[in-house]
Amino acid sequence: MARRVVITGISSHWGAELARRLERDPAIEYIAGIDTRPPPAELERTEFIEADIRSPLLSRVLPSTEADTVVHCGILWYPEPGRPPRVLHEINVIGTLQLLAACERTESLEAVVVRGSAAIYGSEGASPSFFTEDLAGQVRLRTRFQRDIAELEEYFLNFARRHPRLVCTMLRYQPEVGPDLPSPLVRYLSLPVVPVQLGFDPRLQLLHADDATGALERAVHNPVRGAVNVGPDGAISLSRALRILRRSPLPVPAPLFEPAMRRLGARLGAGALLEDGMRLLRFGRGVDNRRMRDDLGFEPAYDAVGAIEDLARAADARRIGPDLHPGTIAGRLIGIDR
Amino acid sequence: MSRAGEQPAPEAIADFLRDVRVGVERGMDPLAAAQAASESLPERLRGALETVVRRLRGEYHEDEWGFDEQFAEAVFPIFEFLYRVWWRVEVEGVRNVPSHGRALLVANHAGSLFPFDATMMTMAVMKEHPLPRWPRFLVLDWAFVLPYISTFIRRCGGVPASRHNATRLLEEDELVMVFPEGVKGTGKSFADRYRVQRFGRGGFVEVALRTRSPIIPVAVVGSEEIYPKLGESQAMARAVGAPFVPITPTFPWLGPLGLIPLPSRWRIEFCEPVDISEHPPEAAEDRRVVFDISERVRETIQEKLYENLVKRGSVFL
Repeated sequence: MARRVVITGISSHWGAELARRLERDPAIEYIAGIDTRPPPAELERTEFIEADIRSPLLSRVLPSTEADTVVHCGILWYPEPGRPPRVLHEINVIGTLQLLAACERTESLEAVVVRGSAAIYGSEGASPSFFTEDLAGQVRLRTRFQRDIAELEEYFLNFARRHPRLVCTMLRYQPEVGPDLPSPLVRYLSLPVVPVQLGFDPRLQLLHADDATGALERAVHNPVRGAVNVGPDGAISLSRALRILRRSPLPVPAPLFEPAMRRLGARLGAGALLEDGMRLLRFGRGVDNRRMRDDLGFEPAYDAVGAIEDLARAADARRIGPDLHPGTIAGRLIGIDR
Repeated sequence: MSRAGEQPAPEAIADFLRDVRVGVERGMDPLAAAQAASESLPERLRGALETVVRRLRGEYHEDEWGFDEQFAEAVFPIFEFLYRVWWRVEVEGVRNVPSHGRALLVANHAGSLFPFDATMMTMAVMKEHPLPRWPRFLVLDWAFVLPYISTFIRRCGGVPASRHNATRLLEEDELVMVFPEGVKGTGKSFADRYRVQRFGRGGFVEVALRTRSPIIPVAVVGSEEIYPKLGESQAMARAVGAPFVPITPTFPWLGPLGLIPLPSRWRIEFCEPVDISEHPPEAAEDRRVVFDISERVRETIQEKLYENLVKRGSVFL
């Protein structure tokens, strides 16, 4: 069956990567991307529709594509050029609302896939170690981004209820890392000296960027109803991740960590979403990914440790100057191969 | 494994440094000289060195819960000292703990300032059981927002107390320790020692029924006397956000010295498993069944506590 797919946020890393993969699939007859900026040049047969998902105009554009699947990649985790922190809320919440309104008018539609976030579970010390999908909304949400995600999930849930004919998938992504991913988190992990919170060592599940795209592609082919956690198997502590990455941690007492990160955050490009990052770097977060494996049918290629190791390999290849991490030097002294 | 021919560590290190110097004097570059010299280190020293270096490189195992076996082994001697010398723990019925497969150890909870009962039960299983294994334990949520302590507990196998965590651990066929009294147990005053408090809503029974895990009641004697709680300071509790801050004969009067637990004698008895196999998993929704089992476990622990108190005799000697 020929498929027609529309991707929002096509100029973002996530949207473009998905389009690139779908272009290779002959079963997909038509791909369109919606964004305010043009997508990267490498895309070949993706039709670019210049539109702002926040504008009501979308309700006229979307039905004309005769799409059967809409993939919403337009939820932003951090500011981008031309998208300052203060408009993130608008893009994430109002944008999703407008998109859903446009979906209602698209009669050919069969499935809506939203690339959401596991931020809906918050980052708390005393949280369950592995959140299952039914545990959303059990903790008090503390950051703007967490509340935005919760709000748009609620709209999406209502939308799904009113349109039982449509298959509505909410993918709750753990943060990603990848050698080519230009995210604040990856930049943070690539700092020569990495500030960490004194006395805390969060348990992290960072998803490899290839798996992140893989899961999204899988959801286009096999949309399932309801929320699905997207995260790697296992977990890794920040301290161990930094050792594998050969980065030296700089423990900073909690009261100084926030001001320090605020200064650094602007340089990392985290902007308003710094709050989330800081909570994540204190308490971490784990999700149960059994639904992703069993229902969605996606098998990640990297586990939590593997994703970091891959990042380390890439960082090693790009390194300028000698690697002076104690682990490397001591390893060389007693002759352990890397 | 003959250690007789092996040099003591300081001499071996001196030899190593001399080898490096000789190497460099002969025109080798320092790195190659160090590598060559490290080859001739005694095997045991080299092994230890390699472990340390591998740790620096993040090349060690940590499970998905954050349990770090190497770390737990490294701090083992501290708890071994407490177990053998300080509290002279005697253990009974350790064979009631299954050597494989899931099981829920349910114990009384005490020791106001730092409840050490989980660590001593771990020691008992690790040291006395013919097939030792690391138990996992559920810890009061509050501990997981604390710096250092949260990290330490997690690396030793503790997880935040929640039925989701307990269920998942049991599904993974782990040995799980729970303390259903929770803060009511640790926070009771010294006058109420060895009186098992209410068992919450019986959540542990629901988890055991759902996962079809045997329940093994455990009675721990000795934990009540390590920090006898005479009163509590509400002002301090508010200041640090703790559920309670106890006042003991030594804390906070002696400052950090007040954190040293008293050397009471301990006895730990692992009781016969409570058979719940007659109930189907759905019985977890039947409040009557849940309370019934919960009460049975509580009574067993209470009975065994009195028995072991008599067996122990004198508290400190």
